[in-house]
Amino acid sequence: MRQGDPLPTIEKKITQAQVERYAAAAGDFNPIHLDADFATGANFGGSTLDGTIAHGMMILAYISEMLTVAFGEDWLSSGKLKVRFRAPVYPGETIATYGNVKKIDVSNGVSQLVCAVGVRKQNGDAVIGGDAVVSVAYNR
Amino acid sequence: MIDYSKLESGQRLSSERLILDANAVANYTIAVGDASKPAAADGTPLAPPMAIAALALSAVINALQIPGGAIHAGQELDFGEAVPVGAALHCTATLAQNSVRRNWRFLVVTTEVAANDGKVVMAGKSSIMLPA
Repeated sequence: MRQGDPLPTIEKKITQAQVERYAAAAGDFNPIHLDADFATGANFGGSTLDGTIAHGMMILAYISEMLTVAFGEDWLSSGKLKVRFRAPVYPGETIATYGNVKKIDVSNGVSQLVCAVGVRKQNGDAVIGGDAVVSVAYNR
Repeated sequence: MIDYSKLESGQRLSSERLILDANAVANYTIAVGDASKPAAADGTPLAPPMAIAALALSAVINALQIPGGAIHAGQELDFGEAVPVGAALHCTATLAQNSVRRNWRFLVVTTEVAANDGKVVMAGKSSIMLPA
């Protein structure tokens, strides 16, 4: 990969059934994800919610999936991720990951790639934004 | 019921053994629709790294009895080693910051997940906002 190269986009439509499945798999039963009555009108750091929302870690998983597709085991064994969750994702919305290589540092047979990564809704609203770093051996 | 105002930075919140078995990984993979199917060069199935992160965060949620309405504001993750499906792991969570600002309590929790040999396979930092 070279500086400026894009990472493969992962696109998902979020459903309430999937959010419920994630809650069970991850052990996160916060009612803002599961109970529409509780979630509607709940304070979300300055704004109010219109209903249940997906777990931030579920949406973040799509960024990790993108990085796994791009870098394989190198992502699993050397990946670093730093993100902010910027906006909620509601069931019924479609989101897409994005990423590109910002910088490459080469040292001792290893390339360290710094990538801008994030997730956007179809209308372009930012959901997650941040950076990922992965180390890739030359001979890969 | 936890009195969050009494929690102190540096306080150990939890220390527990986790098993990332095939069933747990399958449930996680189905939930997120992850099609990447990571595997080692020899074909050994590897756990999606975010499945480890989700397990670690679950330990934090349980330890802190995170109330409904809490918001996950930010996350840092550092993966140190690929983890085979079925691996036994040890997860510790420590409070790094506890502050109140504009009717919200901000908790920053660090987590460390280690393999049986002691090698850290994942380190994380979660920023969580609770209604104060």
